[in-house]
Amino acid sequence: MGSESEYVIEMLHITKEFPGIKANDDITLQLKKGEIHALLGENGAGKSTLMSVLFGLYQPEEGIIKKDGKEVKIDSPNDATALHIGMVHQHFKLIEVFSVLDNIILGAEDTKWGFLSEKAARKKVTELSEKYGLYVDLDAKVEDISVGMQQRTEILKMLYRDNEILIFDEPTAVLTPQEIEELMAIMKNLAKEGKSILFISHKLNEIMEVSDRVTVLRKGKYVATVNTKDTNKQELSNMMVGRPVQLEVKKDEAKPTDVVLSVRNVSVMSHIHKSEAVKDVSFDVRKGEIVCIAGIDGNGQTEFIHALTGLDQVSGGTITIDGHDITKASVKEKGKYMAHIPEDRHKHGLVLDFSLENNMVLQRFQEKEFQHHGFIKFDAIRKYSQELIDKFDVRSGQGPVTITRSMSGGNQQKAIIARELDRNRDLIVAVQPTRGLDVGAIEFVHAQLVKQRDEGKAVLLVSLELDEVLSLSDRILVMYEGRIVGEFDSKKVTAQELGLYMAGAKKDKKEA
Amino acid sequence: MKENLKSFFKKDGVKSVLASLISILVGLIVGAIAVFLVGIFKDTIGVKGAWEGVRIIFAGILSTGRNVVGSLTWGYNAVNLGDMLFRATPLIMAGLSVSVAFKTGLFNIGAPGQYLMGTMTSLAIALSIPSDKVPTWIIWIIAFLAAMVAGALWGAIPGFVKAVFNINEVIACIMTNWIAANLVTWFFDGSVFCNQVEAGKTGYIYKTSYNGVATVKLGLDKVFKGSQVNGGIIIAIVIAVLVYIMMNKTTLGYQLKACGANRHAAKYAGIKDKRNIILSMGIAGALASAGGALYFLSGNTEFFWSTYQSLPATGFNGIPVALLALNNPIGVIFSGIFMAMLSTVGMQLTNLTAYNEYITDVIIGVIVYLSAFALFIRTWISTRKKEAVAKPSEDKEKEIQEEKTNERGNE
Repeated sequence: MGSESEYVIEMLHITKEFPGIKANDDITLQLKKGEIHALLGENGAGKSTLMSVLFGLYQPEEGIIKKDGKEVKIDSPNDATALHIGMVHQHFKLIEVFSVLDNIILGAEDTKWGFLSEKAARKKVTELSEKYGLYVDLDAKVEDISVGMQQRTEILKMLYRDNEILIFDEPTAVLTPQEIEELMAIMKNLAKEGKSILFISHKLNEIMEVSDRVTVLRKGKYVATVNTKDTNKQELSNMMVGRPVQLEVKKDEAKPTDVVLSVRNVSVMSHIHKSEAVKDVSFDVRKGEIVCIAGIDGNGQTEFIHALTGLDQVSGGTITIDGHDITKASVKEKGKYMAHIPEDRHKHGLVLDFSLENNMVLQRFQEKEFQHHGFIKFDAIRKYSQELIDKFDVRSGQGPVTITRSMSGGNQQKAIIARELDRNRDLIVAVQPTRGLDVGAIEFVHAQLVKQRDEGKAVLLVSLELDEVLSLSDRILVMYEGRIVGEFDSKKVTAQELGLYMAGAKKDKKEA
Repeated sequence: MKENLKSFFKKDGVKSVLASLISILVGLIVGAIAVFLVGIFKDTIGVKGAWEGVRIIFAGILSTGRNVVGSLTWGYNAVNLGDMLFRATPLIMAGLSVSVAFKTGLFNIGAPGQYLMGTMTSLAIALSIPSDKVPTWIIWIIAFLAAMVAGALWGAIPGFVKAVFNINEVIACIMTNWIAANLVTWFFDGSVFCNQVEAGKTGYIYKTSYNGVATVKLGLDKVFKGSQVNGGIIIAIVIAVLVYIMMNKTTLGYQLKACGANRHAAKYAGIKDKRNIILSMGIAGALASAGGALYFLSGNTEFFWSTYQSLPATGFNGIPVALLALNNPIGVIFSGIFMAMLSTVGMQLTNLTAYNEYITDVIIGVIVYLSAFALFIRTWISTRKKEAVAKPSEDKEKEIQEEKTNERGNE
């Protein structure tokens, strides 16, 4: 071991217990000054707990934390801040009704005679945002901006406080490929300037690209710390999951047949700005193919999907499924033709305070199978949800009666996928179906969607992740500023090419 | 055996009941302390009087007055118990009204207005249909049902503006409350129902017994001799059970709860969220106004409308009744009776001791206030129980860990 000052932060033999479970069991993590250290593990492996210990949110039962070789006690986030430890949380800690600037300076405001003086702060934030390419609208309210921009706000918040040790808790989950590349560059820059970065992720590509060393956790236990250049993706993922993992999506050539979904000249108004978020979009999705709408977050995908699934109205154009015009149909009517895995599983996908079984019949409780003269058949629901739970391996504390809020993100998503795929509709609309999931769960979701395709379903996928777009889909449509600007065969296009279209640098002439 | 006991305490229903009982007990103890402190520092009461006050707080419902030597006597008090049940009737209905709306994610502070609409409609109909031509029991039923319809329509108004224009239901409810108060005053002021028979009375309208209409007694007047109790309490209990069935066993209740817990997800699943919000407020309105009807159709209650400048407290008391019962319709029966017991106890305190009626109201306020902590106490019980669970099996470990991570994230 080198001299003590080699490590800026050391977490030695940390054990953190929750009632009945050791979330961290004798974990050691040593962060060198100026390095990017990745912390890898599945959901529930204990990464977030460990970082919460470092950030002062939890006190460990055993183990010590050292800063610059000296033992420190971190009892609250205030202590962490005083030690210049900053964290971007996975679930943003932003005040929705405040402006971006107000959120950034919150808790570190400059005042003049008791009044807020934002001028200096605005200048500093603007400089930071230009320096690192973290573009945000400082005066927009957080509730009105995209998830990606909220993330950038969080990063700026940390930079604004001149933190030395930066914890990124899955920062790329919501960013576009370009943004991820930019972020990687930023992280490297920060490390070069002497800042030390802890990077929590389960995305192997990013870890391989950006990190210097990797610490792998599994089920609360320490597995290994390795130099990134001495390892590879397959080895890391096997270490993380504890078994060999299928990293590539395995699928045969698509054999598309009849048209299922037909979208013609559809436009949708935006709710935030008084303009069209989706402009004159036309395309088809056929049986037996996965068509992906790719694009950077906020280019009209969400609005289009809302209009397609009935959560919102179209302002022009027609949508037909299997020849039925459903342009103006209700959500329920549309639900007869399509299954929908929504983008925001907490907002749209689940009633979090309901039990798992009640969520399983969210669309179907009025069907004859589950009710008799308006009285719910509880036995039928229990039996049905147990079937789905078994079939899709949805894990939860108490089975069908588990309150959905208490389940992990991956299993919540599995529950939604189980419910939607079991409805057996011709069209499956899947919006970012793997967002925030770990390798094992992603493998599962991808396999399910390919299986549906092979069974003759039409799959419309919306994804922000280029890897997923390229590996899962058969055909790719790029959406930019509300228009479809390009259509590609996924086998014949490169990530770079797609990136240019997504950024609006290239456009196809639109065919009639 | 011990295991059985443990799983018994794990049940949600048991937890809720336990939470409400603890809340009530804490409320009563704090109320008793307040009575004691007020008493010992007041010359007219003293330690002896304070001790009597404390005993009345806990058992005033069973006090039968004072004996010849001036000490308190206890026993079965039919008048107290009967009056308690009579007063509980509208409180249960108002509590049901608030709890149904709560379950749909709406705060029905409009119960007083709905209660007034029910009062006005039921009285007007009961007094205007000639009882020499129509049997009085039919008049009663028509008046009761019409009151529910009027309340449903009145309650649906805030529901409608909430669903369609997204106007906060609390604001709309407060507005409709005052509109109802003035509407009722205006209506009775120009009506022929003003009591002109009994000399010296202004601003009262006839009791429904003037027309021969009165709620059936169902034998309760024999059990509680000399009290005002009637079949209304039975009707309220039956309605509470029906509401319980509606909320927990039917697709309608499922929809209402889904809309309340997550309106977006309900909409996503094809549930008509707007329709359900209006419906929920309509049902809430019907329940509150049924409370008004049951109270004033009893035949021996007088409605005083003149200069009706304030809203009926019964409507507002529906809120603590619902909170204390954790919005469970069956629980509302008991919390409604508890609230009625407090007001009976308050009267006993005023009548039998030197405490004046205002301090009595303050103490009741303290008890109600603390009782409404039921939800907080329920959460406390749940977390305590969670910490006590034995070490889970291997494959459950990960789930629990995930749960923890998730909970933290959701904070």
